[in-house]
Amino acid sequence: MSWKTARWIFYLGTFISLVLFLALTVDTHRQIRALTHADQLSDQVVAGKRVWHKYNCNDCHTILGFGSYYGPDVTKVYWRRGAEGVKAVVRTPEKFTTWRKMPHLPLTEQELGDLVTFLKWTSEIDTQDWPPQDQKFRPAAGRAVALGVGPGASLFQEKGCFACHRMHETGGQLGPDLTHVGSRLSYETIEKVLTDPRSVNPQGAMPPVSLSQEERNELSAFLAKMK
Amino acid sequence: MPLAYPSQRVAYPYFVIALLLFVLQVIVGIWLALSYAVTMPQGLVDILPFSTTRAFHTNLLVLWLLLGFMGSTYFMAPEESERDIFSPALAYLQLALLVATGVAALVGFFFGWTKGKPLLEIPFPLDYLVVVGALIFLFNVGMTMLRSKRWTVIQGSLFGGLIFLAVMYLFNLPFYANLSIDWYYWWWVIHLWVEGAWELVAAALTAWILIKITGVPRETVEKWLYVELGLFLFTGIAGTGHHYYWLGAPKYWLWVGGVFSALEPVPILLMLVDAWHYVRNRKGQLNGKLVFTFAVGMAILHFVGAGLWGFAHTLPQINYYTHGSQVTVAHGHIAFFGAYVLLNLMFFYYAMPKLEGLTAFNERRGTLAFWWLSLAMIAMTLAFTIAGVLQTYIERVMGLGYMTAQAQMRFWFAILVALGLMLLIGVVLAVLDLLTLRPAPASESR
Repeated sequence: MSWKTARWIFYLGTFISLVLFLALTVDTHRQIRALTHADQLSDQVVAGKRVWHKYNCNDCHTILGFGSYYGPDVTKVYWRRGAEGVKAVVRTPEKFTTWRKMPHLPLTEQELGDLVTFLKWTSEIDTQDWPPQDQKFRPAAGRAVALGVGPGASLFQEKGCFACHRMHETGGQLGPDLTHVGSRLSYETIEKVLTDPRSVNPQGAMPPVSLSQEERNELSAFLAKMK
Repeated sequence: MPLAYPSQRVAYPYFVIALLLFVLQVIVGIWLALSYAVTMPQGLVDILPFSTTRAFHTNLLVLWLLLGFMGSTYFMAPEESERDIFSPALAYLQLALLVATGVAALVGFFFGWTKGKPLLEIPFPLDYLVVVGALIFLFNVGMTMLRSKRWTVIQGSLFGGLIFLAVMYLFNLPFYANLSIDWYYWWWVIHLWVEGAWELVAAALTAWILIKITGVPRETVEKWLYVELGLFLFTGIAGTGHHYYWLGAPKYWLWVGGVFSALEPVPILLMLVDAWHYVRNRKGQLNGKLVFTFAVGMAILHFVGAGLWGFAHTLPQINYYTHGSQVTVAHGHIAFFGAYVLLNLMFFYYAMPKLEGLTAFNERRGTLAFWWLSLAMIAMTLAFTIAGVLQTYIERVMGLGYMTAQAQMRFWFAILVALGLMLLIGVVLAVLDLLTLRPAPASESR
């Protein structure tokens, strides 16, 4: 190979790759607004992103698969745990961890709310169905709501019940499957469990759920109808 | 043997500090492996979480590698430019500034002062001080080269790579409101550093060392350097796309990233073949056997780490399952080690004897250190890979819980603690050797 050819390989190789890369970057900027629902990128989402950075969450957890691998990926954590589920873990990590610990982080309630809003927005980014392990949680909210039994269904998603319980093949396996809970437990028993889980099963591991009286009624009614 | 140019001496403190930070980085790394293997008490985790120690580990890596590159540049620039460094005083000032910034950042991490972006945690305004340090460096090196009577391809590659490196860091400075765009430009720093700018620096330093130790004509080396750089940039720039598969970017990145990054091993292979070729066609005896050992070891492990381990999970069909798992960690460790750790050590072993006034030095301890280090890192990579495959299969393919997979991987992290201790022995050996080089035994000196 001559010296001249070598130099041409350098100039052409660099130029072609650079032009292609910059052109696609421009196009990506055009498309990414829709792919990330940038119209829903509210001030609260941005505030939540700052909280995410402030407590260096990303050096234990991955988000969009990037970061550190010490804790589970949080891209779709909103699907898995719901708003209250995420808040509960951050408030009392020791209740949700076994042999690998998460630190107590001094988030204010305001910061916690912002963080959850940010994670909810993140869960809606079109990631080409990544990560594979969380795809089973995707229909969680939709499936329950589609049953058409009232706002209790969305509370079930919102309060993080899916983190431990399964319903129609979706959800966690720490607690019992609740697809047919209505045929096992009465409305009153379910309400008792939701008020104080230990009052029904003293050995149980279910943490107390923070619900208003109205929410408790809605959720109990929803679960009692799951027959 | 006296130095060709007295101002090359400024490289010495850069090398010493880089080596000490290297030891510290590996010690912190062992702590990280331990955090995966055993249960850290909650009280300790609340004070010193994994996130803080991981920030130590990665920032120490970046800091010591960059200080090594800078020292190497200051050592090489006078000989290439055939004149002394523009201002040795500025070089010392720059070192003091960067070290002070680095120490402030590390102490800050402990108290929760962070930008919160992996690998680029250094917060405002320290990140601007890094830029100031880089500007002083570029000015000093640029002036040295500009005032020179000659311009070589090696100088061009080195200086071009350093400017590229500094420019890319600027993309880290703004706050991005959109998470996807944030990561899009995060990779402009990280990927275009390690698979772009740093490769230019590495190729220049390696080419220069190969000319020095093999005596192969500069014409040949610089011609192939052009080809390598062309292929590195051709595959590397658009290859950034292999990080854009799942972050909310358009689907065509699966194609662009897949195709270009599948070609990324080619220039590294060319580099390996080149090094082999030069050694076979060398003029007379090799000028320094240990430096040559490091050069070949680097070429091989660079290819294995960045080439093979990178290729193994770069195609979207595979990356869908391995993305963000310990497979990435395996690749990261062997690629950084093969491409940049051995590069720095190779350069130190070339330059340190001259800085310490030795013509030939006793290579026994250094050779032992090379093998010890390299074998420990290869073993670590295999352990990370097994953990990564377990994680990929259990968590991603079977869909079981995150901690279920981690429980199965735990054993391999216990192994990694032991292997990390082995690596530390090798590192300490290399560092002690470099800092206390002894003249070659009488029978060996020429």
